[in-house]
Amino acid sequence: MSASPSPSATAASGQEAPLAGSPADRAVAALQTALDAEHAAVYGYGVAGAHLAGAKQKAAARDWAAHEAARDTLAAMIIALGAQPVAAAAAYQLPFPVHGERSAVMLAALLEDRVATAYLGLVALSEARLRMAGARALQSAALRATSWRGAALAFPGLEPPSPGPVLAGQGTTRPGPSTPGPSTPARSTPAPSTPAPSTSGG
Amino acid sequence: MGRGATRRSVLAAAASLPVVAAGCSKGIGALGTPPRPSPDVAVVRDAIDAETSMIARYNAVLTAVPALAGSLRPLLQQHHEHLARLRARLIEPRASSQAEDTSSASATPAPPQAPGTPAAAQNYLRLAEQAAAGTLLGKITAAPPSLAQLLASIAASEATHALLLAPGRRPG
Repeated sequence: MSASPSPSATAASGQEAPLAGSPADRAVAALQTALDAEHAAVYGYGVAGAHLAGAKQKAAARDWAAHEAARDTLAAMIIALGAQPVAAAAAYQLPFPVHGERSAVMLAALLEDRVATAYLGLVALSEARLRMAGARALQSAALRATSWRGAALAFPGLEPPSPGPVLAGQGTTRPGPSTPGPSTPARSTPAPSTPAPSTSGG
Repeated sequence: MGRGATRRSVLAAAASLPVVAAGCSKGIGALGTPPRPSPDVAVVRDAIDAETSMIARYNAVLTAVPALAGSLRPLLQQHHEHLARLRARLIEPRASSQAEDTSSASATPAPPQAPGTPAAAQNYLRLAEQAAAGTLLGKITAAPPSLAQLLASIAASEATHALLLAPGRRPG
């Protein structure tokens, strides 16, 4: 029952989670990985929403808001543990060109797969509260992915189906602004030059 | 019941070895405490039973409402994948290759009775998926890390099954 985090989550997401000694350090590392994925999702949904209309755009706006809320929650948790939340990258390279509804929906599903994988790191922590938070967030991401994809996966997060590369951040992704980044972690607006899905009201 | 009891007794015997050894030196202390398998073994076993009974439900629905086959088979296939992955976690002295989903007859009281209409059958499975996902989520704090990740992933998968089985949606 020793709480050594499984490498599966971090390995699959391509993150370099520093497995430092203390449980608090591991918690911070896992939270940072999840936050990084949420940053990418917030950016990516901005892109996807710009190419969607009607009900799909509404869904994108709703999911986008969910990721913003999750991002802020994670940042607050990291701060509460005495660490500096990772900042959003200035821009993210999309895994494929997005220029229409089909690719926008594919992007949304892929963002959710990536977020699901990132939250698996929390599930491997020893603290029950963080485990449950990770499992619930994983489930939410899997549900959103299924909504976009119209199909279920056998092992969400563990075995993402997307063969393409994940969103690669371009700019600062380290804790603390090592380069003059435009955004502060917790309450930043979505990534710059990213049109947000505009569905207010109704 | 027979197979479950056998498995349980094997696991119990394995778990009891250190207790018996300790009991020898300390007198009658061991008699009062029935040996239990380690928590993660129990968690995996429960999850296997849950998957097995889920597969039995799908099979019952497919028998009762063959028209749903096209939409249900992908979900059923994923349950088989869940089951295989869970079984790989359980080290049993008996090879379990001969016991695929047919073992449900002994693991659960009786094959479930599936509703006869597509809508009712779909709802029946939806509720079962929801319940299974909730049960699994409740177990992840008792599991070692990598098992917790597997259980969380399976729970998420089952939650998405429930989503696809919602009224007005056609799974698959």
